[in-house]
Amino acid sequence: MNKKIIAIVIAAVIAALSLGLAGCGAKTSPEESTAAPEEAPARTSFTMGIDPEYPPFSYLGKDGEYTGFDVEVCKAVCEKLGWEFKVFAVNWDQKLVQLDSNECDCVWSGMTILDSMKEAGYIISRPYFDNEQVLLVKADSSFNSSKDLAGKAVAVQLGTSGESLLNGDLKDLADTFSEVVTSNSFTSCFTELAGGAVDAVFVDAPVAEDYIAKNDGFRIIDEDLGAEQYGIAFRSGDEELCAQVEGALDAIIADGTYAKIAEKYPDIQGNLLLTR
Amino acid sequence: MTLMTMVMKMASGLEKTCAIFFLTLLFALPLGMAVAMMRGSKIKPVSAVAGFLISVLRGTPLMLQLIAVTYGPYYLFGVSVSRNKLIPVVIAFSINYAAYFAEIYRGGIESMPVGQYEAAQVLGYSRAQTFLKIILPQVIRRILPSVTNEIVTLVKDTSMAFTVSYQEMFTIGKQIANSETSFIPFLVAGVFYYVFNLIVSFVMGKVEKKMSYYKM
Repeated sequence: MNKKIIAIVIAAVIAALSLGLAGCGAKTSPEESTAAPEEAPARTSFTMGIDPEYPPFSYLGKDGEYTGFDVEVCKAVCEKLGWEFKVFAVNWDQKLVQLDSNECDCVWSGMTILDSMKEAGYIISRPYFDNEQVLLVKADSSFNSSKDLAGKAVAVQLGTSGESLLNGDLKDLADTFSEVVTSNSFTSCFTELAGGAVDAVFVDAPVAEDYIAKNDGFRIIDEDLGAEQYGIAFRSGDEELCAQVEGALDAIIADGTYAKIAEKYPDIQGNLLLTR
Repeated sequence: MTLMTMVMKMASGLEKTCAIFFLTLLFALPLGMAVAMMRGSKIKPVSAVAGFLISVLRGTPLMLQLIAVTYGPYYLFGVSVSRNKLIPVVIAFSINYAAYFAEIYRGGIESMPVGQYEAAQVLGYSRAQTFLKIILPQVIRRILPSVTNEIVTLVKDTSMAFTVSYQEMFTIGKQIANSETSFIPFLVAGVFYYVFNLIVSFVMGKVEKKMSYYKM
């Protein structure tokens, strides 16, 4: 008898809970859809999504705070617009999903503009940096062109434009490698190279240059493997936000803040597009 | 990319997932027994060392141990990183799982009533005979459910090999998910792991039935 009552109570609780959950589910979706368009009340904070291991654009500084060219520029933009500046370290191969789920308001971290992003509806800012994909090898190796790497292992970070290139336009080249090793950060790609587990790393030129500047015994193979440009990605529908940020960028370029930041990063200065 | 190509591509990585799984079991199951023996040893320092090893291996994340085994030798001694990642991956998995198995074995051994040892002694069994012929078979029967539990976890943990850029099935799934901006590869991975574990549970169920003779 007692057991029956308990069973009934449990069943009732479960039913109530599931109804409640279903109710919640039903409630939130229309709320979201109505809230999005009229969200306009003045923005107070701005969260930039970065790859935390992407020097010199975004990385963890010696003081334990995120820094880098992109981070400093974004900070200046936020100051200009009176927004509270926040940083969110994304998982690079999931960056657009994390952007869509509002974990950050933009992805701004040496991000290559890909046609697929535009096709998917993301709002992309004006390009601000001319980038090139290069192969980083050990200084004492005998590799002088990508052809010399036939039969060798090459590492690349998952979710980077380099990885897309190796799967797309450079598929023929990639097929000559013995293996394309995908890692979850360039830090581990470089460790693989330094430790001798791979023979080259396919990486953005500024990142490779930054690594060479900080570590002895590496060089870049002088061969242009893919020209591309960096931009800032916003969620679809965020045209206004993009325009605001671009406006603030123009403002800090005009008042010299941008140039001051760029001076701190001499390696990348030559490829900045906005100040040309 | 069609679903079929996706599945085929990921299945190609399944081979490496299976390699981690079977090699880890091959090394961890006996290694765990050795550690359990050390742990139960009457010689104090031996048992203390085993206790310490177990506490470190269980007290730190497997991911950390993977990185330590793969890149540690390079950072500490300048030894080059292994080109065949399967070696450090299996070493890290084996020592980690051996620690868990050791504790399961110990629990099983300690659960055996003292009366059985005494009875065996009266019947003239040596200590080694008592352990191998009487105690061990019952222990194995008793710990099977816990071991199955651990093995099921191992199937899923193989995905952690991604941390050291080992191209197993889940890593390939992530690559496809990224290049296709699709969630499907994760579903496929989920199905793969689930079916893998169904097979594991089925096999372990059979083994349990086989061993039921030793059930008390």
